[in-house]
Amino acid sequence: MTGKSLFVLPLVLAAATAAHAGGVLAIGSAMPSGDVKMKSVDGKEMSISDVKGAQGTLVVFTCNHCPFAKMWETRIVELGNAYQAKGIGVIAVNANDPSVAAEDGYDQMVSRAKEKGFAFPYVVDATSGVAKAFGAARTPEAFLFDKDGKLVYHGAVDDNGQDAAKVDKAYLKDALDAVAGGKAVPVAETKSIGCSIKFRS
Amino acid sequence: MTAVWLPIAFVLASTVRYLPTPPPPTAPAPVPANAAAVRAEIDKPGASAILVNVWATWCMPCREEFPDILHVAREFKDAGLRTVLVSADFEGMEIEARQFLSEHKVDFATFIKRGKDEEFVNGMHDDWSGALPATFVYDGRGRLVRYWVGKASYPVLKKRVEEALARKENP
Repeated sequence: MTGKSLFVLPLVLAAATAAHAGGVLAIGSAMPSGDVKMKSVDGKEMSISDVKGAQGTLVVFTCNHCPFAKMWETRIVELGNAYQAKGIGVIAVNANDPSVAAEDGYDQMVSRAKEKGFAFPYVVDATSGVAKAFGAARTPEAFLFDKDGKLVYHGAVDDNGQDAAKVDKAYLKDALDAVAGGKAVPVAETKSIGCSIKFRS
Repeated sequence: MTAVWLPIAFVLASTVRYLPTPPPPTAPAPVPANAAAVRAEIDKPGASAILVNVWATWCMPCREEFPDILHVAREFKDAGLRTVLVSADFEGMEIEARQFLSEHKVDFATFIKRGKDEEFVNGMHDDWSGALPATFVYDGRGRLVRYWVGKASYPVLKKRVEEALARKENP
């Protein structure tokens, strides 16, 4: 028991120190930075508000270079394309500084979107400001808003990046189904290992 | 003379070309671990501070930071710093992870993350998003002093380790 009480305080302290690190958007929050225009792979300037769907809106922070983003890419594209057709607005946002990884440059995004068949915008967060406003930290990281623009899901695509065949819990798909059907999201927050976003300084 | 040496040179050249030549790994094979196993390593008595670095061979900033992590690990080892390296490489990447550790002359036991991401990430810290690299510094009692995501420079790492070591006198 003494061991345990010794342990609690530091945990609280640690949480307090970490919280200032620019908190992540809490479940229930309104969509931030909705009106920031970002250049999409079709050359058009696009904001998150522009893609808002009648049933909800999915914002995925991703990029070209990150091995985890690549592993989940096909699943992100499949989900994005499928649920866009079901009334969910979908947008993929690359907030990485391409001077850190050249593969994250605009031209490379254009080719990737073409190659993978993105049916939704893939945009450049040119100041990384949108990612910061969301409190996004890694790629890939999904934020799903309901039709009222409230955050209802934040986190991983599913629980197995390495192998789509071994997924136990399709978190994002379940959340999308719930939102598209006007139901409560079963699991609102999840995590996965991923690449840190290479914020522009 | 040339007639003799040419075929020999040819044989040698082709051997060199076709034999895989990575040097044998010198680093111990990383041990599969979940967050509880890493936690146990943090709580093991005998250290004045603990530095945990979660890295992966596919993570560019992790690779760039690695020499500085090791620099600090070696510099403060005698002062009581225990360094716990946890590779987040995928299953099937154990050889690459060990190769990388060997290239950096790691001669102590390290871990490789196994099990569900979510369990591991939350097990390390509730607020950690799972982004790499992630570094956690604990004092000698296993209390977290600081954690952060992203590459840190040698002076920053040094300062943070010193900060944790200094806690020894003020528990």
